[in-house]
Amino acid sequence: MSDAVRQSAVDPVGTPAGEALLDQALLGGTARDWVALLKPRVMSLVVFSGAAGLLVAPVPLNPVLAVAVIISIAAGSGASGAINMWYDRDIDAIMRRTARRPIPAGRISPDGALIFGIGLALLSVVMMWFASNLLAAGILALSILFYVFIYTMWLKRRTPQNIVIGGAAGAFPPIIGWAAATGSISALPLLMFALIFFWTPPHFWSLALFASEDYERAGVPMMPVAKGARRTRWEILVYTAFLLPISVAPWYMGLAGRLYLAASLGLSLAFLWYAVAVVRDRQDASGVSLTRDAPAKAAFKYSLIYLFALLGAMVIDHWIG
Amino acid sequence: MKGKMETSKDWSPEMQAEFSRRRRSRNWALLAFLVGLCLLIYAIAVAKLYYTGRMW
Repeated sequence: MSDAVRQSAVDPVGTPAGEALLDQALLGGTARDWVALLKPRVMSLVVFSGAAGLLVAPVPLNPVLAVAVIISIAAGSGASGAINMWYDRDIDAIMRRTARRPIPAGRISPDGALIFGIGLALLSVVMMWFASNLLAAGILALSILFYVFIYTMWLKRRTPQNIVIGGAAGAFPPIIGWAAATGSISALPLLMFALIFFWTPPHFWSLALFASEDYERAGVPMMPVAKGARRTRWEILVYTAFLLPISVAPWYMGLAGRLYLAASLGLSLAFLWYAVAVVRDRQDASGVSLTRDAPAKAAFKYSLIYLFALLGAMVIDHWIG
Repeated sequence: MKGKMETSKDWSPEMQAEFSRRRRSRNWALLAFLVGLCLLIYAIAVAKLYYTGRMW
């Protein structure tokens, strides 16, 4: 990492790049910048999986309270994203994919982002408690703390297993949704947790394969950087293979019907096909793609469709069953 | 930071206008957020009292 870039990202005063950042800081961010701080794309997936947990619960929640629960989950996700951007502002500044984020671009001050994130996190947990129960609020708090302290601050810069363990943070929302409706936890939300937990590595490592130069420059030991592209391709295949039995388990345990079974089999086999394509991508001796990682890009896009479609199938199956 | 703030006096009219535009957009967003929050808390309170008869 360039010392000058790191310095300008952390403390803008006194460096040429920092002077430009300071002008941006004086102007301040727009409302859109503050929304960007919440990582809206990640939030959409978190909200969808949380809503799925809420909708497959056997006890219907009052619609007004259900909306409040969804907003609380969204706020918790956004708060985690804002605190993550605050902590990672130095590496975000040197990664092409993240250099235009509001903090490294100088449009929002680091302190402002941190205060915003902490405030939103507290608000989301209190709101969840008010709208549902202490269990759901406690799990929401746990997921925020896990994402910030375990993933962002501890694992991300230390181990290539960062997103395997840290992925648990993103797997909590179905449990939160279920707990908000029922006040308890049972097998189905735990299976949904496992589904997202095992989905996260192939999803992130597909991205890491075609963004590995960025991660390498920033010194983040993502799997392709730490263990190489070839090992990463095989790990993607292994985790995708794990997904097949896990995705079918709700039907096997009598918690979902045939519609869900058909969807889970079709979607998981297709995911496996994409993962095989990633392994079989034309590559050099070290496993680096000779096709600009076209299969990895396709697998990444499909992984998003996979999770939305599978959780959607589970909800539809529940409602028509 | 204090020294740098003084340079904002040297801003061009375009920079001043951009500063005002950004501040206006932030203020409107904050207003929308606070109004939304009040409405949401009010709606939750009404729903809880109506369906469960208790607030907590």
